[in-house]
Amino acid sequence: MKSVPRLIRRFIGILLLSFLLLAALNITLLFLYTRSQLPNSYPWKTAEEVAGQLSQDENGYHLSEKMTRELEDFDVWAILIDNDTMQVAWQTNDLPESVPMSYSISDIAGLTRGYIDGYPTFTGEIENGLVVLGYPKDGFWKHMWPSWDYKLIADLPKTVLSILVINVTLVFLIYVVANSKLLRSVKPIVNGIQALPSEDAVYVPERGLLCELAASINKTSEILQHQKRQLCKKENARANWIAGVSHDIRTPLSMVMGYAGQLREDAGLNDAQRQKAAVIVKQSERMRNLINDLNLTSKLEYNMQPIRSRTINLVALVRQVVVDFLNLDVDGRHPIEWETSENLTACPVNADENLLKRAVGNLIQNCINHNGQGCTIHVGVTKDEDKCTVSVIDDGLGATDEQIKRLNNAPHYMDCDETTAEQRHGLGLLLVRQIAAAHGGTVTIGHGIRGGFSVTFTLPMADG
Amino acid sequence: MDFDYLKQKRILLVDDEQELLDMVCSILSEDGFQKIATAKTMKEAVALSSAYHPELAILDVMLPDGNGFDLMEQLKRTSDYPVLFLTARGEDEDKFRGFGLGADDYMVKPFLPKELLFRVNAILRRSYKGENPLVRLSGCEIDFERAEVIKNEERLPLTAKEHDILTCLYRNAGRIVTIDALCEAAWGDNPYGYENSLMAHVRRIREKIETNPSRPVSLITMKGLGYKLIVEGR
Repeated sequence: MKSVPRLIRRFIGILLLSFLLLAALNITLLFLYTRSQLPNSYPWKTAEEVAGQLSQDENGYHLSEKMTRELEDFDVWAILIDNDTMQVAWQTNDLPESVPMSYSISDIAGLTRGYIDGYPTFTGEIENGLVVLGYPKDGFWKHMWPSWDYKLIADLPKTVLSILVINVTLVFLIYVVANSKLLRSVKPIVNGIQALPSEDAVYVPERGLLCELAASINKTSEILQHQKRQLCKKENARANWIAGVSHDIRTPLSMVMGYAGQLREDAGLNDAQRQKAAVIVKQSERMRNLINDLNLTSKLEYNMQPIRSRTINLVALVRQVVVDFLNLDVDGRHPIEWETSENLTACPVNADENLLKRAVGNLIQNCINHNGQGCTIHVGVTKDEDKCTVSVIDDGLGATDEQIKRLNNAPHYMDCDETTAEQRHGLGLLLVRQIAAAHGGTVTIGHGIRGGFSVTFTLPMADG
Repeated sequence: MDFDYLKQKRILLVDDEQELLDMVCSILSEDGFQKIATAKTMKEAVALSSAYHPELAILDVMLPDGNGFDLMEQLKRTSDYPVLFLTARGEDEDKFRGFGLGADDYMVKPFLPKELLFRVNAILRRSYKGENPLVRLSGCEIDFERAEVIKNEERLPLTAKEHDILTCLYRNAGRIVTIDALCEAAWGDNPYGYENSLMAHVRRIREKIETNPSRPVSLITMKGLGYKLIVEGR
């Protein structure tokens, strides 16, 4: 929502700027326009010129030819009112008839300020009379009362300023009122857009000025949700497919494993034949483990496996897994050494018991799978301040630094959509990693102290 | 033979695949079981149950005319005998559902003959232990019913805890039982901190059952892990 106040500030800035620019522009235009007009004082000056050029001789008054022509050009008439007689003592030829020939003092005052019979009049003084010019009726407009209140003129700057302030405030208020409505409709839109990246469904009420935008956001959210559902459906289909295939393999594999198991124990067969049966048993066990791992790993991958966590004793759990292996180990080629301090009897962790058993079982099975010649597997549990660690270390073939680096870093083919030769195979360790991740734990692969392979599985300890 | 009476138990086997029925039959009969009846549908199974009076049922979960859980409910309505599930569905929910309805054990296909036999024998031993009060060990016999050890014509009584521990070991005869499982059997659900008591009890049990308690041959220690009871005839 930080962008909205910034937007408002920018809008107001632009508004004020345009306000100032507009005022400046108007003043400039006014100035330019009035400059092209004739100056207001020029008829007065003409009147004075006429007065100056009016000469008197024994026949009366005479105006110079040039001035006469000039007056005629502008269609201006002129009279001279004598000071003594208050009669018209001289006049131009084109004097309208409606102009009176004698004047009183009040007439003089009137015509100085205003008009004679609608003709705007301007006066100029000569020694013993007053020259009056009459301009055409539509030539000038005269201000009849050219006086101002003194205070008004004195306060003019203040008045202008306050009018300006009132104007700006008014415009601002109009803007705020108009925009608050806009903002009210913008706010849910902004919230909606900001909520879109979260994977939840977004709904913005489709009303107000921006209802079309709201509709677009709703539509976008709908599309996103649809895609999410589609993706989820695909993932479910994949996990279900894997579950289905593994289910269908289990029954035929039961037969293979069951009969091979019987043949392995059959006293009527010779050693070589029993050995062959043992190989079939071993390989079908591998297939069984693969099916189990594939099924669980795909469920964990797509979050379809419920994690039923409760506080369990990790020592007891690992001990049970070890004992299960010992109870099933037929040929005795993979003895398991229990290397947990006798003082450590309980190590509480919050975990799903079955998943954790699978993880530890996979680690032990991994040692067996990779050391067909036999090896001793050392299993131990240690407790630190806030975590419990299970370590499974064998003294078998082990792995090179390069292989271990790859096991720790390279993506598994289940997680990887590229077909590179660098991908890891074998689901056992992937599953262990997934289970550790689901419980907030970590898995580290390395060299065993006895030359073999070492895996440590660390889980946070439960409170209390 | 100590387990002969168990081999006489009537077993009802239900699975929709003939080959699987054949195989399980062959595994069981090779181990000495003689009375096995098979059914391929729920209907057949219900009919057999009332006619044959089985003493253990091994049920598949997926049947052509219903599922094994419903079948078990039906069977348990008329008679009470233990049930072991065999299924191709490894999902936990099924497991919980099965045990919630009173299944005695559960096995996911595929399985080794050994595993199946162990579970069948363990269930039978647990369910019908009263019928064969004497369990023969290398140096003595145990009468679980009367909680006594018979050694050299002498009857030595077992304490309640010793009885609990021995029962748990006997049920898993020939297999290692973890310290934790034994503590749970003797002291219940929250069995932490009883490890030393367990060792003391085991020492006293050995004094009763072993010919030479310092060199045990029947109750074997698996260091750090648990104990194993070796029963004669196994």
